[in-house]
Amino acid sequence: MTQEHDAKSDDDAIVQIRNLHKWYGPFHALKNISLDVRRGEKIVICGPSGSGKSTLIRCVNGLERYSEGRILANGHLVDHRSDHLRLICQEVGMVFQHFNLFPHLTVMENCTLALTRVRKIPKAEAIEVAQHFLERVRIPEHGNKYPSQLSGGQQQRVAIARSLCMRPKVMLFDEPTSALDPEMIKEVLEVMTGLAREGMTMLCVTHEMGFAREVADRIVFMDAGAIVEEAPPEEFFGAAKHERSRKFLSQLLH
Amino acid sequence: MFDFPFMLSTVPVLLKAMGTTIWVTLVASIGAALLGFSFEIARRSGRYSGYAMRFVIDFIRSTPILVQIYFFYFVLPQYGVTLPALVIGVFALSLYYSGYLAEVFKAGIDSIPAGQFEAAKSLGLGRLDTTLLIVLPQMLRAVAAPMGNYFVSLLKATPYLAVISVHEMLGTALDIGSETFRYPEPMIAVGIIFLVLALTIAQAVRWLELRLLASLKR
Repeated sequence: MTQEHDAKSDDDAIVQIRNLHKWYGPFHALKNISLDVRRGEKIVICGPSGSGKSTLIRCVNGLERYSEGRILANGHLVDHRSDHLRLICQEVGMVFQHFNLFPHLTVMENCTLALTRVRKIPKAEAIEVAQHFLERVRIPEHGNKYPSQLSGGQQQRVAIARSLCMRPKVMLFDEPTSALDPEMIKEVLEVMTGLAREGMTMLCVTHEMGFAREVADRIVFMDAGAIVEEAPPEEFFGAAKHERSRKFLSQLLH
Repeated sequence: MFDFPFMLSTVPVLLKAMGTTIWVTLVASIGAALLGFSFEIARRSGRYSGYAMRFVIDFIRSTPILVQIYFFYFVLPQYGVTLPALVIGVFALSLYYSGYLAEVFKAGIDSIPAGQFEAAKSLGLGRLDTTLLIVLPQMLRAVAAPMGNYFVSLLKATPYLAVISVHEMLGTALDIGSETFRYPEPMIAVGIIFLVLALTIAQAVRWLELRLLASLKR
């Protein structure tokens, strides 16, 4: 866009968000958001509910339309030509708050569906890939079960595996542990931490500050549709610059 | 007086006609389901096709089935389209019930959580794959019972085809009546056969529904 932004932009950025605005009718949901995610970087987006965090990451893979600005994902402009968007979605994985597994398909079928239908990989090969990722999220033995037979934590791990099967360049996590019972949060976070260690580029909306502190390269704090503060975790948790961030943290941390 | 042995003697003839009734019900049910599903998918696919399909569906549902049957039977030949009465009958029943099934399917698809569509999209699945592999199976589980009701209703609408001389059960019973001047026996026999058929379909649908629900809760 402008010179200033081109100068700032990083060639290494796998996701580039520039001057992004979104309105829902008169409601200004995203206000001039610019954010770069570099290859291998882990970013945690936090903030009070209604601050636009989910809306922001849902714009990255086109689940939400933005009103102004632009997003590049792996060099492709995210717009709403459907063939174009399909291409982007093959490179950007997403994990949802409510897992969104397909209830009529087995765990294995959930994982192989996109491989066979989108990537056009032979079924036997797709099963191998899926088995590999099911092992990686530590549920190799449940392939023939249906999602409803699994616990919430297991379902979310299947959802992560399903996404990983497509070998995405970036993973988006939209409050992946918010719908889970406390004892299941840990198993999902462990999988996510493992993923981070292996170098996956991650953009996570989460309230798990322990995870953020341990894994994130940068914390992005949002409030009322705008990015208020952007800082490495030690700085953000140790000495948040803004009053709004400090207030948020004081309500969150014990 | 009511002649029971005579009624029994009409049964073999009527059972032969039952073949036509069952065949028509089967083909028209499949036709209605395919058409209805296509209408509903088209209705969702864009603003203008949405308006167009809404109109088509409402039009079909708001005109009497007998008018539609007569229309295809008498009007189409005027434009050079002559089809066997059986084909016209199956087509008219398919079309009429497609309007109702489209509404049933609408409710069924509406009941699928938005997250399912989002998950499909986020995996890069195309529209056709999403419709056939994600939407259709979940919709069918949701609508098995009301859809079955319409199949029973369609079975009971097959006698309308008697008016365009399709020899299904009612037409055959009327023939027996006009040949023998005895109407009570063939009519009662037809009524009983319909009752048995309708109950059978209803039972089959119930069984199917339980199975589908069980497979979802496995």
